[in-house]
Amino acid sequence: MQADLGGSPPLSIGPGALTASYLYVVRYGYSDTVLHNDNQLRIFPRDGGGSGTGAGYRAEGQTVLHSQLWTLPPGRGVAFRDRFGNSVQRYRIVEHHTSLIVAAAGLVNLASEPPVAGDAGLEEVRRLPEAFEFTSISPLVDPDSVAALAQEVSGGSDSLLEVVRRVVRWVHEEVLYLRGATNVTTTAVQVAEVMEGVCQDKSHLALGMLRSLGVPCRYLSGLLTGQTGETHSWLEFLHPEHGWLGADPTRGVLMPPARDYVRFGVGRDYTDVSPVSGSFLSRGESEDCAAIAEVRFSDSEFTLEYALELLEDAYVVKNG
Amino acid sequence: MGARCMFEISAPATPGYNEWTDSGGQTRSHYAAIADAAASLGPLELTERWGRANRQVSLDAFTFYLDPRRYRPTPADWVPRVIPADHWEVISAGVAQRLKALNLFLLDLYSGTQDVVPDEVMYTSYYFYPEVQGFRPPRDVFVHIYGIDLVHLGEGRYVVLEDNLRIPSGITYQVKAVDMVSNHVPEFGAGYDVVPYDIRQAYHDMFRSLCGTDSPVCVLLTDGRYGSAFFEHRYLSELLGIPLVEGADLYVGYDGRVYARTLDSDIPVDLIYRRVEDLEMFVPNLREAYLDNKVVLVNGLGSGAADDKLVFMWVPRMIQRYLGETAILDQAPSFNLSDPDSRRHVLENLDNLVIKARQGYGGIGVYVMPDLGPGDRTRVAHHILQNPEAFIAQETLDFSNHMVFNDQSGQLEPRYIDLRVFAIQDGNGNVTVFPGGLTRVALSGGRITNNSSGGLCKPTWVVRHPFQ
Repeated sequence: MQADLGGSPPLSIGPGALTASYLYVVRYGYSDTVLHNDNQLRIFPRDGGGSGTGAGYRAEGQTVLHSQLWTLPPGRGVAFRDRFGNSVQRYRIVEHHTSLIVAAAGLVNLASEPPVAGDAGLEEVRRLPEAFEFTSISPLVDPDSVAALAQEVSGGSDSLLEVVRRVVRWVHEEVLYLRGATNVTTTAVQVAEVMEGVCQDKSHLALGMLRSLGVPCRYLSGLLTGQTGETHSWLEFLHPEHGWLGADPTRGVLMPPARDYVRFGVGRDYTDVSPVSGSFLSRGESEDCAAIAEVRFSDSEFTLEYALELLEDAYVVKNG
Repeated sequence: MGARCMFEISAPATPGYNEWTDSGGQTRSHYAAIADAAASLGPLELTERWGRANRQVSLDAFTFYLDPRRYRPTPADWVPRVIPADHWEVISAGVAQRLKALNLFLLDLYSGTQDVVPDEVMYTSYYFYPEVQGFRPPRDVFVHIYGIDLVHLGEGRYVVLEDNLRIPSGITYQVKAVDMVSNHVPEFGAGYDVVPYDIRQAYHDMFRSLCGTDSPVCVLLTDGRYGSAFFEHRYLSELLGIPLVEGADLYVGYDGRVYARTLDSDIPVDLIYRRVEDLEMFVPNLREAYLDNKVVLVNGLGSGAADDKLVFMWVPRMIQRYLGETAILDQAPSFNLSDPDSRRHVLENLDNLVIKARQGYGGIGVYVMPDLGPGDRTRVAHHILQNPEAFIAQETLDFSNHMVFNDQSGQLEPRYIDLRVFAIQDGNGNVTVFPGGLTRVALSGGRITNNSSGGLCKPTWVVRHPFQ
């Protein structure tokens, strides 16, 4: 099954733009026959050249040239944009199966120059219209629960860039990157308690701290360029003049260039942008899951055959 | 007329319009004859009749299960609700209009052309099925049987709370409640010209028009005797004279048609009146047979996309778009919580609202904020902030009360009531709305009337000349 999702014609996004070829593939194994499997897929790059409206709809510095989707077994899908402007496929597989493979690949143009932004005051960002949505509580991030910590780390600074820099650096340096200590339901305050976790956990903690200080910020899901591995997550904070700017508590980077990532989805936390979320009907349960991603600077697209090969080497997460 | 005082009324505990008494505490004129009959029977005799009727309910297995392990006769109150014919004309026209618009919407949706409901709402609906895209159901009907929940705000103003388009249940409860009162308290009916209807005839006409043959083979597919509405499945199959089958009784043959196993031979089936949602769980490949036009499904696959509680908000626009008409029935003002401005408004005015889980049904996941304590209100606000797309908010309505006879105290007690009305649409686009409906009565002190939440049912009459 192959769905050609097309893309925009190449746009000029400034000198030094690079073409990146990306691949994301995931396999789910089940303990019994699945009668139907119904999911929302958020494994498509956000478009910088899209015609969407509203603040934050565009992914600055990223243009989708082409994207495609495969599933085994095949199913039927419809494409739409969710309330955050993400490209989503509602995808339903009704052929009986005991394993499901979903793969997405395509080409994007990425700007290589990092954004440049002057400072702004915290008071100003707190008054932005997006502040209600992006400083409120979300399923995995309760700003109040990490407010005292944030106050301490920020040192009471009133500078937007200074506050973001301090929080991101603190999370980068103090939270130990450790796989297995947390899972997809770990909340920001739990990360603050154990002080261990992966990129998702670091992002959640930094988001909670920044939100408690009134900085509107959002969770990003996507892939790191130039490597083979898992999906990545980082965050964006809202600047009154420059819009959404990146910050990566896992890498300890502030305002990275677009070329560092292929951006899939934005949301309040992981639950809004989970790559595959939905339900299936079966007597059995989901037994294991393996996901892997790769991004190369190249203008040749990944194939399904390559995706299946890559999957063989993927890290398998046993359920429970 | 003084005898009416024998029928004591406990002090009204609920605000809102009372259908039985006027604001001065006098029995309304169209209930005078029932009140007289009740007064002349007296509380002791009424208690006796109630006991007899309830025993009959139990013996007839007239059940509605909340828990499949416990036998549960349907709780009922036998004081009839009278809907004056002029009210009914408006209800009936409004229900027919809504059913037509919802069906046209589904045809537009599954053609991939609809733009009434935003994509992010429509395509996140659990009961939207991508595999139905591009499919046209037989005779262009997705919604054959429609159940609509209404409340009465008084003086003939009925407001829509919900549409039920997948496997709406309750039509036999409507029929059975009316039968029960005429058998056990026939005195109530004296002097009322109740509008009759014939469900069997109407369903058979519908089945024939959908199949295009005079004697189609139809079956009723049940999820089995442990389902909450199994009484209805059994009773409907008797009433309609069509076999009641479980999943194992059906199979899809090599020719792609659906067959029913019988002792003699296997019979090809033309139409399945299905009372299950997940077809594949019951009959492998039934979905393919349907999408291949080998069998008619009542209701059509994917019709639940339009009874999503959030999609509800756009029904008045569907009526405007597809019929070029203004909605005859008002509906409860609702808020889409995914929109940050609406969410903020809802959180600031939470105390006056009802919050419903988008995927809930049967009154489960419905929070009537004025009836909750401060702790629960905070918890609901928290859930809205965390998962705005999982809920909708509606304005709280002070809808009507009716009287329930308390056979312990011998008094009448006011309770909130609603009305589920049933309508069917045949293959020629004709809609039949069955007069009356199922009146559901809330538990004492509550506003949630759903039978799944423990509510009672009540016989309901549409009366031509009520004022005798």
